[in-house]
Amino acid sequence: MSVVLGYLATILVTFFTYNIFTLGLNIQFGYAGILNFTVITFMAMGAYFYAVFVMPPANASNQVFYILGLHWPWPLASIAGVVASGALGYLIGLIALKRLRSDYLAIVTLATGTLLYGLSGDNNKLFDGWAGLFSVNQPFQSVANNHPNTFSWIFVVISGVVMLAVWWFANQLYSSPLGRSMRAIREDQDVVDAFGKNTFKVRMLAMVIGSTIVGIGGVLTIQYIGALSPAGWTTGETFVVWAALLVGGRGNNIGAMLGSLLVAVIFNEGTRYLPQVSSSPNLVPDLRNIIIGSLVILSIWFRPQGVLPEKKAKFYELPLKDKYAQTFAGAKVDQDLAVEV
Amino acid sequence: MSNVLEVNDVHVAFGGLKAIDGCSFTVEKGTITALIGPNGAGKSTMVGSIAGAVSITSGSIIFDGNNISGLPTYKRAQGGLIRTYQISREFGGMTVLENLLVVRLGQSGESLINAVFRPKKSKDETNQLVAEANDILNTFGLYRLRNEYASNLSGGQKRLLELSRAVMAKPKMLLLDEPMAGVTPALIEILGQHLLELNRSTGMSMLLVEHNLEVVDKICSRVVVMAVGKRLAEGTLGELRQNRDVVEAYLGGEVHERVGG
Repeated sequence: MSVVLGYLATILVTFFTYNIFTLGLNIQFGYAGILNFTVITFMAMGAYFYAVFVMPPANASNQVFYILGLHWPWPLASIAGVVASGALGYLIGLIALKRLRSDYLAIVTLATGTLLYGLSGDNNKLFDGWAGLFSVNQPFQSVANNHPNTFSWIFVVISGVVMLAVWWFANQLYSSPLGRSMRAIREDQDVVDAFGKNTFKVRMLAMVIGSTIVGIGGVLTIQYIGALSPAGWTTGETFVVWAALLVGGRGNNIGAMLGSLLVAVIFNEGTRYLPQVSSSPNLVPDLRNIIIGSLVILSIWFRPQGVLPEKKAKFYELPLKDKYAQTFAGAKVDQDLAVEV
Repeated sequence: MSNVLEVNDVHVAFGGLKAIDGCSFTVEKGTITALIGPNGAGKSTMVGSIAGAVSITSGSIIFDGNNISGLPTYKRAQGGLIRTYQISREFGGMTVLENLLVVRLGQSGESLINAVFRPKKSKDETNQLVAEANDILNTFGLYRLRNEYASNLSGGQKRLLELSRAVMAKPKMLLLDEPMAGVTPALIEILGQHLLELNRSTGMSMLLVEHNLEVVDKICSRVVVMAVGKRLAEGTLGELRQNRDVVEAYLGGEVHERVGG
């Protein structure tokens, strides 16, 4: 029974954290049209920086090396992790958002992600190289050590509350004039520019907010698992988040949630526990990738807007003051052209 | 009368190609001035360089008393200089109403803090803007389509949307790059009346790139003619019709022979 409960808790935490990643990407891509092809790098930044702020100084005699090791209390270290991923978003934005758009921007993000991946893997002084960081201090450490299931359920609540807060934030942003500017930039950046908005600033905001949110998910991930190595944040992981957003429905936060449930939980996590075929140990992971890839292709083919497309904006409207006093031209065009839609 | 726009000896080169080669003209405040000329004369490049989309190689552009030659596009627009495009560029995935709402500057909900934590204030403001936008849409005959996605509009409706969106931005001056391109004669008439009405009621200055001389004749008080990147002539359309250079440049050498012969 306790195994089932523990498993259920893990599934829920996975769902909540992936949902946070997808919401972050939705703000970048679904709102502002920024093709961030290295979502998972921000998760790793959040996680790593949480770790090096919360852990005691590295012990060289164990052949474990990492920077900082400040041994801060976990709430402060969490903030440090989140700020670090937001700062990385800002730096990449400085390079990529000033002049580049769409595909070129995508290439820069992908390249930066690959660079950081190689850097943190090959340089074992930063985050202990390919071995990664482990025994990372968790919140409520004694509970985690003595009652793992209780810890899991505490964490379900924590990550659930954080996810709801992010969800609320994302929705507030979406329906605001700022969110509207972001979506207009997604549609046609030049035109928004020509109407007097500083599109660089707005895109940068979307970039940093999205990266910060993904970083929050990263901090939660390492707090729950207590370890992270580069194998946990390969480029493939970025595309799980992308698949979730595209399948669920970009621009729609409920769609993002549904997508993380379908892709990240049911297909990605659900298939992790299928029985292994001993003669070909890679069969199940490969099948998983094939299924996720097919799901993306099918959904783009048949439902390009995702399962839950972006909702049409509705406003509180008063009736027109002079409904019948339409101008000469207004009345004419309305009748002539309204039928064409 | 003072000038709202002064273009002084502007040069624009794309590599070796001189798209604009020393062009100067002015637009008087409160007038509708036409910019005409044969294809390839540099009219769209001129509109682009006034709006900031094209950077000029030398010369200066004075708008409303300020030299805007070096300013980025969005700062020029903040100063009240708004352009429309030769090919309609609506925000397709947003409704017609949203297309208008997005362009108004200085909304409090454009700052992150207000957007997220003070939605009440920004919502009241938006309601106000919705009423204003609906009035404009009503004038332009798009009121019934306000909740339609802009990508679903017909070509003519997109033209009207482009214009109503520009009006929503409350510009001091409008740069209109062939607003009548690909539009039926009936709608050309209506668009022309809208522009004239707008100019009379608000005193908004306009620079209108247009090939249809009938339209130019009806709504523009002055005409600037461009050819091969230079200003060829300036005056009323009546005056220019008497100008042999203009007739030649606009209609080709063949006519010159006919006129001359």
